[in-house]
Amino acid sequence: MLLSAEKVAKAFGSFKAVAGADLHVDKGEIVGLIGPNGAGKSTFFNCIAGDLRPSEGRIVFDGVDVTNASAAHHARLGIGRTFQVPATFEDMTVLENVMVGAFLRHPQRSAARANAQRIVEMTGLAAQSQQRARSLGTPGRKRLEIARVLATEPRLMLLDEALAGLTPVEIQRAMDLVREIHRLGITLVIVEHVMEVILTLARRVLVFNQGHIIASGTPQDVVNDPKVIEAYLGRGHGRAAAKPA
Amino acid sequence: MRWLWLALGAVALLYPWLVAGTGSAAFLQDMGALVLLAAIGASAWNIVGGYAGQISVGHAMFFGAGAYLPLLVFQQWQLPPLLGVPLGIAVSLVLALVVGAPTFRLQGHYFSMATIAVAELIRIVVSYSDLLGAAIGLQGPAMSVHWWDLTFRSAVPYYYIFLGVLVLLLLVTWHMQVSRLGYYLRAIRAGERAARSLGVPVRRYKLYALMLSATFTSLAGSLYALKTGFIDPDSGLGILVSVQLIITAALGGAGTLLGPLLGAVILVPLQTATNTWFGGSGSGLTYIIYGAIIVLIARFEPGGLLELWHRLAPRFNRRPEDSRAA
Repeated sequence: MLLSAEKVAKAFGSFKAVAGADLHVDKGEIVGLIGPNGAGKSTFFNCIAGDLRPSEGRIVFDGVDVTNASAAHHARLGIGRTFQVPATFEDMTVLENVMVGAFLRHPQRSAARANAQRIVEMTGLAAQSQQRARSLGTPGRKRLEIARVLATEPRLMLLDEALAGLTPVEIQRAMDLVREIHRLGITLVIVEHVMEVILTLARRVLVFNQGHIIASGTPQDVVNDPKVIEAYLGRGHGRAAAKPA
Repeated sequence: MRWLWLALGAVALLYPWLVAGTGSAAFLQDMGALVLLAAIGASAWNIVGGYAGQISVGHAMFFGAGAYLPLLVFQQWQLPPLLGVPLGIAVSLVLALVVGAPTFRLQGHYFSMATIAVAELIRIVVSYSDLLGAAIGLQGPAMSVHWWDLTFRSAVPYYYIFLGVLVLLLLVTWHMQVSRLGYYLRAIRAGERAARSLGVPVRRYKLYALMLSATFTSLAGSLYALKTGFIDPDSGLGILVSVQLIITAALGGAGTLLGPLLGAVILVPLQTATNTWFGGSGSGLTYIIYGAIIVLIARFEPGGLLELWHRLAPRFNRRPEDSRAA
């Protein structure tokens, strides 16, 4: 098992954003996290990424307890993450952005540059590599975020709505990129609103609601689960939709 | 680009001779030395304030440490002032650690305000310390006994010492800029959270930047004290010392190698001119000009003059290969 999060809870004051969530991810998996707005999936995600410290529970990555480790330490151990709102380094060029990631494993500039160049090409950003990040549009930024994380050579990659706000064509291209990343042997945990993405990419889906995981299984099982439909659409719909199934 | 560098280097090297024939040779040589000194201070601040984007408004504490210690060892213990230079750097490094470790938890304005508070506290304590000359300050050697007193009547020797230190500092900065440290600092400036997520130990790298910056700011303070032969709490530790470093760097372009240099070349003659034209009351006018510069930079070109140049230059001399790149 690559990642195991057990009984993870995160409270902000008296509000429990995540109340005892478990997640186990095997090497090579693509796991989807879905749930309505405010369900706690982003908080849970940030706990796994090391951006937030869980109030309770334990997170183990590849045998190392990372519950209280810093975000930088997570990156060093091989957990990479993207941000919901792209946090690219605006005044640096695309290549320089990726180099910052590459420096983690390659302290020498020439090696970092060569690796960054390779990743820039792989992610389809070669034409813009000398442009400042601020000149990119949303799809470019999301791509650059993924490229930057790839440069840190992660074993587990956490994508936080990396495909939100893209047009259908852009989503297809981005999904191709995610598949390519998976082929490199990188395990993925994806938080996503776009159902189409989760249904086609993930083989296992966890559904969050009000801080709890209310369902898990294959994408098909999950979308037919009355509890899931209820969480998204409300009580009456849950029963009505479940009947014909 | 290469010829530009050669020309700049030649002018810098020959400047004292170039102005020697003019009627006000001593004045112009002195101003040349002051330009170099301002460039050293601003370039030193630029490491942490420009590259790493941590706007310290308390760099006077490092400048002051560098300025006070050479004169302290001379006046209190009759030791050569030069001995005080490494001591000033040592004190500055300790200050950087003590100040940086807790304040680098703060971001943005909070960090700036914390540095002001610490620097002002130090200024007040020093102005009551008899060992440090209290409000009157300390004096250096009246005249040179040994060469290592570094007390010269002419500004020319200072000019070349300052030039040497500036070249060293620019080499260090350039080396930093093309190494991991430089990339990490720029990433920290652009977004700490994202930098952290890519494995950048943010607080440790900020501390590296502050220590490197403090070392050279202290050196600038020592050079100032050796040249002037006199230091008091206002000239060594006043908040305007910090503000001058920031404005010089920001005017030319904070976070660039040559921005602080450009800022010094513009600001020092401007300041000298206003002081000359308006006599003793000129200092007030200097600060009005500073205020105007701050407002103009903040409103129109936060990247400074170099950024403005990069934006405008292609419009003035558009060549085929330029327009293709744009």
